[in-house]
Amino acid sequence: MLYEFRYRAPKTASEMIRLLDDHRDDGKILAGGTDLLPNIRDGNIRPAVVIDAKKIQSADSIAWSASEGLVMGNAVTINDVLRCREAWELFPVLCDCARQLASHQIRNRATVAGNVVNASPCADMAPALLCLDAFAVLESASGTRQVPFSEFFTGVKHTVLKAGEFLEKIIIPASAAGARGYYLKLKRIAGHDLGIIGVLMVRRNNGIRFGVSSAAPTPVLVDGMLDKDGVDAAIVKVLAAIKPIDDIRASGEYRAFMASTYIRRLWQEIK
Amino acid sequence: MIKIKVSVNGLEYERDVAEHRTLLHFIRDDLGLSGTKEGCGMGECGACTVFLNGKVVNACLVLAAEADGASIETIEGQAGSFGLSDIQKAFEKNHAVQCGFCTPGMVMSVKELLRHNGKPTPEAIKEAIEGNFCRCTGYTQIIEAVLDLTGQGDLKGELKHV
Repeated sequence: MLYEFRYRAPKTASEMIRLLDDHRDDGKILAGGTDLLPNIRDGNIRPAVVIDAKKIQSADSIAWSASEGLVMGNAVTINDVLRCREAWELFPVLCDCARQLASHQIRNRATVAGNVVNASPCADMAPALLCLDAFAVLESASGTRQVPFSEFFTGVKHTVLKAGEFLEKIIIPASAAGARGYYLKLKRIAGHDLGIIGVLMVRRNNGIRFGVSSAAPTPVLVDGMLDKDGVDAAIVKVLAAIKPIDDIRASGEYRAFMASTYIRRLWQEIK
Repeated sequence: MIKIKVSVNGLEYERDVAEHRTLLHFIRDDLGLSGTKEGCGMGECGACTVFLNGKVVNACLVLAAEADGASIETIEGQAGSFGLSDIQKAFEKNHAVQCGFCTPGMVMSVKELLRHNGKPTPEAIKEAIEGNFCRCTGYTQIIEAVLDLTGQGDLKGELKHV
């Protein structure tokens, strides 16, 4: 049972901004609800007003154009991505990460925007968005700004989003189309689970980059590697960039070990 | 309170609901459709799986207010005037039901799978029901029911019973 709160569903971005402005301290944005509602139920957060972002016009639109790239509104779900032909053809690593996120029912509700705004270290969409140079379009009363995901996460559950600001859309630039790679996610069970460690390797224009989840306070991007550097140098570089912790799911030592194991496997597979 | 209009199993309802009420509690307590179960209440177990606008969701993770204008389908809408649905019959025939608590959610997830994939492999079936926990059958009978229903009964022998 949830405690009492009010529910608001703005139809336009300006109405959304007004509501956020009115409820800077006691409002919380509801996207897919797959994290927010369990958190409310557990008493971790107690917003007085829950503001539904899904009813804003075209918030659920996912559209590709060669000029803009892949544009995803803040209500686009993980399964919307997996149902999008252009996403599969042009950004297969985005779909790889999406496929491994939670269960089918959750993927029908959970949004890409919610996954990154929550800023969990284990966010499965973050490695893809980082490796594909995606950026977030943020709206507030003071205007619009664009923030690349490499600068978006600031700590565990923290992002650059300010009070009164919301993520309106996510854009993956057309220049990232065709990037190849694969996401390996270690879990405790074969079924749906939060990741113990996740490693995405992406090849773009002969450059190699890694997106790593569950390995540091924020999802991590490690880029600027070349084939000739060799896998051992890549492992050293990634391990230097991450900071895995001991927790209920695994030890930090095991996480680091599996990160290097995954890098070695991916290096052999993704040619 | 907020007024919502929903269609549930083809019937229209207009009700006042508390803004913090979940769709699950609305379905069970306000509409009296108790076939949909509450297991974890956290989106882990899938006992509350229903169709919302044609897609399966965990009803415990949706607010009734969000469902205003939506079309909902629950386990009560599966059997027709000629008896159980094909999925329900396959579950019964293959002993895919023991205590029955997970069954309403399982049936929904299988229905969504079969809409997109008429001949799912055992692997595809497992993936489709990974968000539905069953603590009795060990899942094998459920997978067998789906194989049987999709004309792949010959694959049943390959599954291990645990």
